[in-house]
Amino acid sequence: SPSAALRRRDLCSRGIRLAGKMRSDVVDLLDTYVERQGLDASASVSAVEGVPAAAVERWDEQTGTQRLLENLAAYRAFRVLLAQMLEEQREQLGEADAALGRALAGVLLQVSAFAYHLEELLRLESRGPPSEEGAGPPPASHLGLFERKLRGLGVLRELAQWAVRSARDLRQLTKPSTGSSSAPSLAESP
Amino acid sequence: SHIQYERVGADVTMKCGSMDWDAAVTWTANGTDIDESHLNGSYLILKNVDLTQSGQYSCYEGSSWHLKYQTYLRVGTPPKEPVLMCRSHNYPKGFYCSWHLPTPTYIPNSFNISVIHGTREMVCEKDAFPKNRCHIRYLQLFSTVKYKVTLTVTNALGKNSTTLTFDEFAIVKPDPPESVVAKPVPNNPRRLEVSWQNPSSWPDPESFPLKFFLRYRPLILDQWQHVELSDGTSHTITDAYAGKEYIIQVAAKDNDIGTWSDWSVAVHATPWTEEPKHLTTEAQVTETTSASTSSFMPPPTTKICDKGAVVGSGAVAVCWTAGLVLAAYGVLFI
Repeated sequence: SPSAALRRRDLCSRGIRLAGKMRSDVVDLLDTYVERQGLDASASVSAVEGVPAAAVERWDEQTGTQRLLENLAAYRAFRVLLAQMLEEQREQLGEADAALGRALAGVLLQVSAFAYHLEELLRLESRGPPSEEGAGPPPASHLGLFERKLRGLGVLRELAQWAVRSARDLRQLTKPSTGSSSAPSLAESP
Repeated sequence: SHIQYERVGADVTMKCGSMDWDAAVTWTANGTDIDESHLNGSYLILKNVDLTQSGQYSCYEGSSWHLKYQTYLRVGTPPKEPVLMCRSHNYPKGFYCSWHLPTPTYIPNSFNISVIHGTREMVCEKDAFPKNRCHIRYLQLFSTVKYKVTLTVTNALGKNSTTLTFDEFAIVKPDPPESVVAKPVPNNPRRLEVSWQNPSSWPDPESFPLKFFLRYRPLILDQWQHVELSDGTSHTITDAYAGKEYIIQVAAKDNDIGTWSDWSVAVHATPWTEEPKHLTTEAQVTETTSASTSSFMPPPTTKICDKGAVVGSGAVAVCWTAGLVLAAYGVLFI
C-alpha cells in the first residue's frame, strides 16, 4: 500500500541518519573508553564471544529481509552487551567516571532506538520481527578485569562497523527494485 | 648467451673459458679491444665497476682468434626498500596496490606480492598495465580484521621487502570528480554555477553516496574559499567578486569512511558582466553560502581600482586602497 511504502521510506531515511549519528558517537566513545580504561588504541582484539561480527560475504546479494534480520539480531545483542558494560563500569569505577557512563548510556539509547526502527521495518513486512530470544550474549562474569576491558573494546569496535554497514543496508532497502538486481525489494520478500 | 650481474663498485674477474692462466688471449668490450693493463694472465680484471662498464665481453685465443668465452656484464645494485601504496577507489568492489623502487637498480627486478586477511591468503591479480600494480576483490565487507600486504622485490644481486597493514575503511579514497563545469549566471555579476559528476570508477553512488568539497578563489588572490556539500553534484557560488576570473576545484569522499580524493582538474570561469562594462543600477543582494569566508584583504602595497566591480546602486566605482580591510560587501564611494 502507498502508505506502507511511505512509512518504509521514512523509517529508512530516519534510520540512516540515526546510524550516522550513532557511528560518530561510537567513535568518540571508543576514544574515551580507550583512554579511561588505560588501553592501547591499536590493541588487537580477537573475535569476542556473543558479539555479532559486521563482516559479511556477498553483501550485495543479500535480500532486504536478510539485511533487516541480521541488523536486528546484531543490535539486540549490542543492547544487552552495552547494558552489561554500563553495569560493569558503574561497579568498577562508580561515580568516578560519570562521563564514560553517560557516553555509554547515550550510545545504548541510540542502539535501542535503532533496534526499534528495524522492528518497525520488519513489521511492515507480513512476517514481522522475530521474538527476542531469552538467551542473549552471556555475561562476562567469568572474565578478569583486563579481559573485560578488552572485550568492551571489541564490542565498541564491532558496533562502529555495524553502524556503517547499517546505513548501507538501509540505503539498499530504499533503492527501487529494477528486476535485474539479485536482491529483491521488501515488497517481494516472502 | 651468458649474463653476469655484478654490483656497482665490485671487482670483477673474468676467466677466458677453459683457457689456462698463461694463455695468450685478447679481450674485447662491445667489440673494442681491451688494453693489456687490465689483464692478469688471461684473466680480465675490472676493478670498482660502474654502470658504463655494462656490455658484452668476449675473449679470443691469441693467434687463431677463436672465440673462447663471451658474457654479457650487467652492472647494477640490489633493490632498496620498495615504496608500496594500496587504495580503494572503487569501494566496495575491491582495492589495488601499486609500488615502485625509490632508486633504479639498472638490472631486471621481479616483484611478488602477498595479501593476508586474518588467516586467509588472497590473490592480488597483476594488472597488464601499469605493470607495477595488482588488484583484489573484496570477499568480505565491514570487517574489523586488518589486511596485511607484503611486497618483495628480488633481483640477481639481492632482495628487499616492505609491509603495509591497514583496515578496510582506511584506504578508501575515490578518484576526483569528473566533468567539472563552471558557468556564469546571466544577469548575476556575483554568481557562478558549478556542476560536476561522480567519478566513473565509483561503482555504486546510490548505496555509497559521496560528499564533496568545493574550493574556489579569484586568480588574483591566494586564499581559497571552501564549501562542503553533503549531497548533490552542483553548487552556485554567490559571493564571487564581480568581473574577476575564478579558479574552481572539487574533491570527493565517501560519506562515511576513508579520505578525500585529490582535487579535480581546475576550471576557470568569470562571473557575468554587462557589455560594455558600464556601471549599472542594480540592487546588491548580499548572500553567502561559504562555510568559511575570508574578508577581502588586499596586499598592503597595492591599490586596486576596478570600474567594472559594480557594487551597490548608482554609478559607483569601487576602489580598494592599501590598508583598508573590506568585508566582501563593503562599498566605498568616491
